[in-house]
Amino acid sequence: MSQSDLGQELHDSQRASVSLKAQKNTLLISHGRPPWYGPDGKRISDAFVIGVGGGSASGKTHVARQIDSFYKYHSPEEMKLAFESKFDFDHPDAIDMPMFASCLADLKACRQTNIPVYSFAEHQRLEETKYAYGATVIIAEGIMALHDPELRSLYDLKVFVQCDSDLMLARRIARDVKERGRSLDGILEQYLRYVKPSYDTFVRPTAAFADIIVPGQNNSVAIDLISTHTRRQLQERSNSFRPRMVTSSLHAPSLVDEPLENDSNLMILPSTPQLEGIFTILRSKDTSNQDFIFFTDRLSTLLVEQALQFLPYSPHTVTTPLGVECLGKTLVSKYLCGVSVLRSGSALERGFRRVINNVPVGTLLIQSNSIDGEPLLLHLKLPVSLRHRSSAEDTWVILLDAQIGTGAAAFMSIRILLDHGVRQDHIIFVTFLVARTGGITTLHRAFPHVKIVCGAVDNEMREGWLEGDRGEGNEDGIGRKIWVMNPGMGQIGDRYYL
Amino acid sequence: MSSTSDAPVAPPQPSLQPNANGATDTNGLPSSVFTLPQTAQLEALYTIIRDKYTSRGDFLFYSDRIIRLLVEEGLNHLPVVQKSVITPTGSTYDGVGFEGKICGVSILRAGEAMEAGLREVCRSVRIGKILIQRDEETMQPKLFYSKFPQDIAKRYVLLLDPMLATGGSAIKAVDVLMENGVPEDRIIFINLISSPEGLKTFSGKFPRLKVITGWIDQGLNEKAYIIPGLGDFGERRYCE
Repeated sequence: MSQSDLGQELHDSQRASVSLKAQKNTLLISHGRPPWYGPDGKRISDAFVIGVGGGSASGKTHVARQIDSFYKYHSPEEMKLAFESKFDFDHPDAIDMPMFASCLADLKACRQTNIPVYSFAEHQRLEETKYAYGATVIIAEGIMALHDPELRSLYDLKVFVQCDSDLMLARRIARDVKERGRSLDGILEQYLRYVKPSYDTFVRPTAAFADIIVPGQNNSVAIDLISTHTRRQLQERSNSFRPRMVTSSLHAPSLVDEPLENDSNLMILPSTPQLEGIFTILRSKDTSNQDFIFFTDRLSTLLVEQALQFLPYSPHTVTTPLGVECLGKTLVSKYLCGVSVLRSGSALERGFRRVINNVPVGTLLIQSNSIDGEPLLLHLKLPVSLRHRSSAEDTWVILLDAQIGTGAAAFMSIRILLDHGVRQDHIIFVTFLVARTGGITTLHRAFPHVKIVCGAVDNEMREGWLEGDRGEGNEDGIGRKIWVMNPGMGQIGDRYYL
Repeated sequence: MSSTSDAPVAPPQPSLQPNANGATDTNGLPSSVFTLPQTAQLEALYTIIRDKYTSRGDFLFYSDRIIRLLVEEGLNHLPVVQKSVITPTGSTYDGVGFEGKICGVSILRAGEAMEAGLREVCRSVRIGKILIQRDEETMQPKLFYSKFPQDIAKRYVLLLDPMLATGGSAIKAVDVLMENGVPEDRIIFINLISSPEGLKTFSGKFPRLKVITGWIDQGLNEKAYIIPGLGDFGERRYCE
């Protein structure tokens, strides 16, 4: 997805929160998600889960939305945290508590989940589910949100929205007539027969479980308190677990204990006269765009061919057109897909397509934060087999990125695949260059079973300076220090695309 | 590079390690014959194109993959020279530059199927053509047509034919190239599948000509077809 698409999405959710119209089941994305793991590759904290309960039309959605917007439109630090999702289980007949609990537990543990979709128009749960992943803050709202003990145990903060019955009924009538196209008689009958008894019996008593009881109107002070509390909680977690280490130690050059050539999970293309010649062209600053693209494609083809040797093959007999039986081999992976780390990972895609046809290729947009260089996950679009945990466990993934320098993007992209349930030894990372003194050591220590296929190993990481692009969060266009590979191939994405 | 128990066997470096193949009859093969690394993955590619039920689309896709690898391997037998370049970081990199002009020559008509793969690896390379068919009277291969770049005598020639069975037409093609002034050691013959008999005959006649073959099969049947083979390459690629 492009930057402008992201902008569009921001704009949409902004408009929605202003209109107070309940736009449910949305995944809100703003400034990207900073690392949620330590240098050992392990998750450092769970997502922060807020449960919002209360009667129908009590203003739960409004409260949830206000908490959202608090993160989105204040200071830059808060914006970082606003990578969050929200889901709804407002309707008792739509509630499958164990399923919701398992969805929520997955999200809390930073795994992907597939949330059931409820249709108001059709009064029922639809076949489809909505894939969600990557939330830092999760808001679960609904009349029964605080009812189930299993769900309650997942919340970090429990909120009950208290509202007078007459006000709730008035809002309910207004909403159902206007938005859900129901008649007044129908609404009243449903209210008296189901909603009111259910509220008195099941919903109102759950207020006892709440940490905070929020009034259903004029509640800006309460919302401010909740937001401040949540922000402080998140800050504490990140301060205690992510003390800049991802940026400084992982990304900075380190001493190497052992030559990379001895590493069994790092496969370097065998050096041949042609490979040497290709690299000489790609490394030269005087190479034309046309040549750079041509030889990049040739190199990526060779790399992906090499990578496929890591896939599993088993004996297989076929009959040739001459009627002769022939014992050969066949690929036995159940699912295979590619995932490229935008932008420069796409430089490997043509080679990928020459070697593997008819498989999906997903994308991860990971960009460095313009201020401190910390990687940020801005967008992900993964193949279907990865969205569901059961099939992700049987999927082999060819992960594409142009180089492993500091290893920051590689680290994040592998963590994302593992979060989805992909097995470490089913990940094959394909890249043109690896820096000997870069993040590769930390990467290998954290993910020892991930296989890496590269064209060459460069000896040096140098400090460089990247001129800043003026833009959101960096109005003055401030440049920043970066690590550059030497001799390297230059900025591969720029040379391939610009 | 090294290997562990669960990793596939590290492939031999093709250019440096001739005859690293798993065929039954590799003993006594001439040292001018080179194969691709015989990996499980390559075997799986051959299994697809050997299968008579494979669709034409898959046949094209998977044979192209092998052809590209063969051309890459063939190019590794061309000379390179030391060359230093300046990198975008301002460092000097001591690498190599490609040396010598090349051209492809395909033996019609199956050899043409290898041209696309050749041009994916060697952009805009000149390609000559040779049509050789069996003379119905003498039963010997006969030259029907040839068209080469004018300066072919100064170029390295990648001779393309997917199948090497008896070696008859390949030998005739080399004769024609040599008559046009191309030295024997400047020709590299590239094919997908070969028979041990054909390799012996061909390389026995041209010991200084390098042969790059993807797979060496069991042998020839009574009709001189390669067994197990993959049928008629040109038919499957163009006609079926």
